[in-house]
Amino acid sequence: MNALKTGVNRQTALQFLLVAVVGFSLPAFSSDKAPGAGKWRVVNYWSEWCAPCRIEIPMLNALGQELSAQGVAVVGVNFDEDPRALTLEIAEELEIEFPVLTNEEVARLGLRPPDVLPTTYLLSPDGEVVAKLIGMQTDAEIREQLVMKGALFDEDGD
Amino acid sequence: MKDAVKERAILRPLISEASTAKYGAIPGACRRLLAGVVSAWVLLTPAHAADVELLPSPAAKNSSLSRVVSDKSGNLYLSWVTQTEGSASLYYSTLNETRWSEPQLVSQGEDWFINWADFPVLSVSAENKAAHWLRMSAEGSYDYDIDARFYDAQTDSWSDTITPHKDGVSAEHGFVSMLPVGNGNTLMSWLDGRNTKTEAGYGEMTLRAGIFSARGETLSEWELDARVCDCCQTGAAMSAAGPVIVYRDRSGGEIRDIYITRYANGDWTPPVAIHDDQWEIAGCPVNGPSVAAQGDFVAVGWFTAKDDSPKVQLAVSTDSGEHFSAPIRVSGPDTIGRIDTAILANGQVAVSWLDTSDEAAQLTVSRFSAGGSLIDTTVVARTSASRRSGFPIMETIGDDLFVTWTDISEGPEVRVARVDFASP
Repeated sequence: MNALKTGVNRQTALQFLLVAVVGFSLPAFSSDKAPGAGKWRVVNYWSEWCAPCRIEIPMLNALGQELSAQGVAVVGVNFDEDPRALTLEIAEELEIEFPVLTNEEVARLGLRPPDVLPTTYLLSPDGEVVAKLIGMQTDAEIREQLVMKGALFDEDGD
Repeated sequence: MKDAVKERAILRPLISEASTAKYGAIPGACRRLLAGVVSAWVLLTPAHAADVELLPSPAAKNSSLSRVVSDKSGNLYLSWVTQTEGSASLYYSTLNETRWSEPQLVSQGEDWFINWADFPVLSVSAENKAAHWLRMSAEGSYDYDIDARFYDAQTDSWSDTITPHKDGVSAEHGFVSMLPVGNGNTLMSWLDGRNTKTEAGYGEMTLRAGIFSARGETLSEWELDARVCDCCQTGAAMSAAGPVIVYRDRSGGEIRDIYITRYANGDWTPPVAIHDDQWEIAGCPVNGPSVAAQGDFVAVGWFTAKDDSPKVQLAVSTDSGEHFSAPIRVSGPDTIGRIDTAILANGQVAVSWLDTSDEAAQLTVSRFSAGGSLIDTTVVARTSASRRSGFPIMETIGDDLFVTWTDISEGPEVRVARVDFASP
């Protein structure tokens, strides 16, 4: 779990350094130009050969569209770390409509590669891992986690 | 019905021969306490690291997916895949003293399914060889078939390419294990997705096996399990009582523990769990078990991560896989698995796995006594945790241990090392 936090700690340290040197913090500051950076992120690890991953994709496509207006981005990670062109080719074949991160963008997240596919991380706007959802998820399960972590309002008012 | 057959037939743990010899019968609570103390001691005690000798590799640059295997005469074979623009080739070479033979081409194709976790196997015996690779079968990028060729030493020729599964269904077929079974025949086991393509959606992955002649003829074929994990390697070994196959099961409740089936009295035994890990996941761990055998002694290593707590475990059997010891913890919690298991001529067991440290990984081998006591732990190489670094594979010749893996630091390159356990 320490490895999981490495990237987060580095980013946090950079922000502390910025506050110390410049004297103020830039809330929206981020050198990360990756899709969804600065937003709540649903980071889904998939692979072309992972059947439950393929089953999840239509749900994640819809979730990404529905939540974009609420400041939540759905992004994908090709677990196999294929070259970029191949990853995009596979993503098209799998009809993935949400952005797929580059290997460099994935490395900056500092996440421990999942032990199981699919795995979906929920990241806060400052990149902190707030939930790790192992195995195939439903739309309701992801939304429930986002509500619990404060990324979404509970529409039912519960 | 499947679950009824399995009926959670968890094997009774054996008390290790070492502990019974030393302590006799121990009450349950004391035994658990003792086991905890011993486990802590095993994990915390600094261990001697064996010497590692990096050998030259016969594989060209841009090669990966390597394996080592040996025949009964003590010849070491290295197989690998070399990729060039739009093409992939499967080669092997043999080690003569310190020199590798000229690489021999088994097959080449432009429609292969190349995957870091599911890759070609070379099986060798004194008279024969067999090898497989994966070929894309249809427009779906995840539909692929198994292709195989068999080398007959009597005719000094490779057979035509055959597809061991005869279903004709465009689906996933892979994660092959192979084993020479005598008379020039080869046992193959594989994950077979013929039942995954249903009108109702994705169906169940099956485990199948067959015996094939040196000419590639199907002599026997079986469905061994009608519902298994979709994406984990299988393992096979020859015990004194016959072949055993290990794999990751998938219960109706999504428990994905390691199971074994044995060929005994002319048929395969109903699959049973090596240990009741109770790892429940509706997903793919991509971390299959491995098995090695020497006479009646069988060792199985595997990765599990119940409660998101990763660890590698080892269990041993002294009755050809009918009963297993309680699991021995090999590593955790920083392991990402990718394990292999081998037995040295002196009966000691080696387990390899990848441990993560920051953004790097360590290819690590721990050696255990036949009774399951840790002898030493050796870091064979520092490598990458990336999937492109693949699954390291081990083989023993006598008391020498050979390890191969893919180094991606300067493009994929095959590495081979000998671990010298004899040095003080």
